[in-house]
Amino acid sequence: MDVARLQNYIDGEWVEAQTGEYSDVVNPARGELLARVPLSSSTDIDRAVKSCARAFAQWRNTPPSARARYLFRLKELMEDRFDELAEVQTREHGKTIDESRGETRRGIEQVEVATGVPTLMQGYNLEDIASGIDEHCFFQPIGVFSHIAPFNFPFMVPLWFIPYAIAAGNTFVVKPSPRVPLSQTRVIELFEQADFPPGVVNMVHGANEATNAILHHPEVAGVTFVGSTAVGRDIIYKTCGQTGKRVIAQCGAKNFIVLMEDCDLEKSMAGLMTSFFGNTGQRCLAGANLVVVGGDSFYKKAVDAFIEAAAAIRVGDGMDESVQMGPLQNAQSKERVLGYIEKGVKEGATLALDGRNLKIADPNLPQDCFLNPSVFVDLTPEMTLAREEIFGPVAGILRAANIDRAISMIHDNPYGNAAAIYTSSGQAAQRFRHDVKCGNIGINIGIPAPVAFFPFGGMKDSFFGTLHGQGKDAIRFFTEAKVVVERWF
Amino acid sequence: MELRTSSAVIAFAQKCETESAQFYEGAASRFTDLALTFRGFAKENAQNVQAIKRAYYSVISDALETGFSFKNLPSESYAVEADFAPDAGPAQLLKIAIENETRIEQFYLQAAKTSQALMADLSRVFKRLAAAREKRNSFLLPHLERVLGPQGG
Repeated sequence: MDVARLQNYIDGEWVEAQTGEYSDVVNPARGELLARVPLSSSTDIDRAVKSCARAFAQWRNTPPSARARYLFRLKELMEDRFDELAEVQTREHGKTIDESRGETRRGIEQVEVATGVPTLMQGYNLEDIASGIDEHCFFQPIGVFSHIAPFNFPFMVPLWFIPYAIAAGNTFVVKPSPRVPLSQTRVIELFEQADFPPGVVNMVHGANEATNAILHHPEVAGVTFVGSTAVGRDIIYKTCGQTGKRVIAQCGAKNFIVLMEDCDLEKSMAGLMTSFFGNTGQRCLAGANLVVVGGDSFYKKAVDAFIEAAAAIRVGDGMDESVQMGPLQNAQSKERVLGYIEKGVKEGATLALDGRNLKIADPNLPQDCFLNPSVFVDLTPEMTLAREEIFGPVAGILRAANIDRAISMIHDNPYGNAAAIYTSSGQAAQRFRHDVKCGNIGINIGIPAPVAFFPFGGMKDSFFGTLHGQGKDAIRFFTEAKVVVERWF
Repeated sequence: MELRTSSAVIAFAQKCETESAQFYEGAASRFTDLALTFRGFAKENAQNVQAIKRAYYSVISDALETGFSFKNLPSESYAVEADFAPDAGPAQLLKIAIENETRIEQFYLQAAKTSQALMADLSRVFKRLAAAREKRNSFLLPHLERVLGPQGG
């Protein structure tokens, strides 16, 4: 069967990678081979970075409003191809078509916000800091930036960074995840159609060699990364420190959702299902531990309702509009999740809903990547399942006597990406918002995903860096403050 | 089939609107008194599809409860009749039209109710379209009564 071999996009041209190594891109729901992706070499990265460096000189001098117009064109192209972009995501990742459309909208929103660069990038000034002397602060672009992308949001996550970086006058090399390279390839085709000057945005497919080449390239000024804590902290953040690069490393998570006895359980359930099982649990804002705060009868009621709702989730090919949860992204991910389920059972947690009992909407689909939702009850905070990131459709339910204990459970966990509370008490919500050390807080919202105007938070082992992605934070990250003190004789 | 995801609801709404439009296009050529009205309804149905899609594509977010926002929406209960018998007279056509409008109205009302707290923008559009359906029936019912005559047919 003829399968497309993907190319890199360097200096405005589609080019073969300088490598003989390719890996397969497979639709996890159907097992079909979609494309072959090159695992590019350091030579490919070097070519892309040099192209960016050449383009930077002219691009940084292009007026911000003119740079924004390229982004307006890109946005229009994305809107025109909205469904096509969403379908690519579902095919290569497995997520449901609703989730892909949601991802597409959130990606486009980043482009929209970045078009505001003429105001977002403005500096400030003060007259007469001393008599006859004025002071100005400008924000200037820095040079070549890069993004090393994760597999869980193949369209959206690179757009947390690229539009802001180039709007601010930088140039960019994106390296998509080799597991899901098609969405970003489509995005880059749209960049090409929007007529961005060659070298402003380059794309190099690849894996470890390409990542290392980015991290060590002397002409790369900064790196953005979204992925696991092990890689983000120990490789990306540390190497960028050693090589003098700016860095945003958004990493792993173990998010707690606190369910207070005064919550509206029925209305909360849709949010809880989305949080724990949306995107098949493969998101850094996914709920992982449900902490039920209340008496025995509420605990039982909450657990029963949660299990009933999880058991009713329709699992299958995300292209089927009736499906609520797709497969895991590949068979290795499924194996990893299975390992956690087995570990949970061994450690004595009660597996109240076993997702290994497959019930797929279309039973003829290959089962390599599918799992139904699993729910463990009576988990304790020390158990592996309650501590480690599983990145799959597995929920753990814990109990806390009160909100203080729930918050201390959150704080005992090394991650600090997101936490949410479901309650009808303003006092409890305010306390939670104020005290919890996590970067993204949900109040009666299961996935507290900041929209593009706000920074994407993250604390503790979930984030390494200073400034965050999205919005004004991103513009600050991609610019350097220059202060001018001025006097005229 | 139970409609639970946003995309399934949107697709079903589109199907209802399209089939209802097909019905009106066909009925217009059989019932000349109301031909203009029926063609107007068919055109309006196409606009309704656009309104629903616009709301959906504008607000959809993977972070919201798009996959879990709807319940108690079995598609069979709201299926629309697009066809009619070749010898169907005005009374029969009006009856089908009224039944279709009632089903679509009920569908939109239920969809609006369940999604109100979760997908409020979609819920608002559904409510507006349900009200428009009720208005259509207020228009169609007197015609049916007139056609049926004082004995009710």
